[in-house]
Amino acid sequence: MLELWTSEPNTFFLKPLIALHEKRAAFTARWMDTDALAHFSVDHGGETEATLHLEREGPLLNHDGTWISGSSFMLEYLAEVLPGEDLLPSGAIDRYEAHASAQFLGAHLGALVPILGCVKYLAPRLAAHDRADLERRLLTVQPLERRNSWLALIDGTYTPQILATARERLKHPVARVESRLARAEWLAGPRYSIADIDAFAMLRVIPDLAPELVNAAATPRLCAWLARIESRPAVAAALATTRSGNPAQHFVPGVEPSRWG
Amino acid sequence: MLRLYHWEPNANSGKPMLTLAEKGVPFESHYLDLLKFDQHQPDYLKVNPDGTIPAMVHGSNVLTESTPMMEYVDDQFPGPPLKPADAIERWRMRWWMRFFDSYFAPSLSMIGWAVFVGPSVRHRPRAELEAAIARIPLESRRIAWRKAMFNEFSAEELDESRRRVSFCTGVLEEHLGKHEWIAGRTFSLGDINGFNLGYALPLSQPDRCNDEKTPRIMEWLRRIYERPATKQTWKLGRTAMAERVKFLERAHA
Repeated sequence: MLELWTSEPNTFFLKPLIALHEKRAAFTARWMDTDALAHFSVDHGGETEATLHLEREGPLLNHDGTWISGSSFMLEYLAEVLPGEDLLPSGAIDRYEAHASAQFLGAHLGALVPILGCVKYLAPRLAAHDRADLERRLLTVQPLERRNSWLALIDGTYTPQILATARERLKHPVARVESRLARAEWLAGPRYSIADIDAFAMLRVIPDLAPELVNAAATPRLCAWLARIESRPAVAAALATTRSGNPAQHFVPGVEPSRWG
Repeated sequence: MLRLYHWEPNANSGKPMLTLAEKGVPFESHYLDLLKFDQHQPDYLKVNPDGTIPAMVHGSNVLTESTPMMEYVDDQFPGPPLKPADAIERWRMRWWMRFFDSYFAPSLSMIGWAVFVGPSVRHRPRAELEAAIARIPLESRRIAWRKAMFNEFSAEELDESRRRVSFCTGVLEEHLGKHEWIAGRTFSLGDINGFNLGYALPLSQPDRCNDEKTPRIMEWLRRIYERPATKQTWKLGRTAMAERVKFLERAHA
């Protein structure tokens, strides 16, 4: 039995949905309204990995009773255990590239994209909720910084300076992907793989959030790569699971930015 | 032959060192002294333009990310498998390695850089330190070195790091109450990663990690310490830092 606790198909939530559709796997989708903090109420029996969440928020998978969390490693797990289209890079160095890409982009895009997306789209929606009720429901959330990331959105902590820094820091990972795509068609090895799905889910929203960074003139290869992935039927099917009709406008706070400054 | 550029058997450098020893893969060792900034010298920047340690060169492949590097070694070479055969255990191994790398280690290393790395270099002339910072390729590493050299860690961020180290130590102790090893029933790269992060915890954080408060962590560390590959790897250390591993001798218990 494969059950996916999911939400609007964007960023972290989009990754396993694409893999499941690529694999044509039968699964049960359990919807979580993250704007209403429903994802904090999933009964996973207090499993450490499901409680802590490497990325602070994201999908949960229950496979025959075991809870799987962390969108990149969930993606790799699905690629390993499900039959169907092979999504794993085949050689040791290609697998290294996939792991290194997911680690690097996970730390950078995983932190920066949600900041821009949440401030633009989530914060205004949260403002329409009852503040005292939101704060009450966040009281028990662990770890502490996961709770604080939501409180920061409610409090409007993100200054224009923080957002400008986030945009500036996005240049490095964007340039790295553009540079890789100048040397190869895909991010790890000679064919489409979990490395592409992992990066696509975070990069596809940047033309909206920071259009000056990702556009046909500045990053032609990245734009062509986004279009190639976008045209895949499994990706269209994953995006079609949206309930709002605008999945790219739905964000959750993501990976914590480095505390070293 | 495979070339490994590394510092002491500790943290990121120790991960591929111990992995190679467990697999029985010989390698050409290139020791870089982190405290002398060998990693920012032109010769090394030709190998790894980011100037971070470790780096591995295998044929035409250059690998610079320590945790993915461990998986590469396990995939590429014969020897005992260091990834579990079971997919759930492999997922758990990877989850915990990311938890160590992205959450536990940065807090622990902030304390380490404040109390050890910074004071080790701070006495040098300011101009020499500024020149050393100017040679660092990555902005994030320049920020880290500046903080360590000039003691710019605030009391608040060090307190927060200590809070997180306490929290993570508790989470790890609880995990080892449910599983024999990090991934489950199988010794794996997760344990190698965790040992490099935590082998000195009983010395650096004696109030948080000890036989009374964290008996499972202590037993887990001792079991890994007793593996021949661990003994072999820590002998490659050149400073007192590597000597700390001997605290795990059972005679000290």
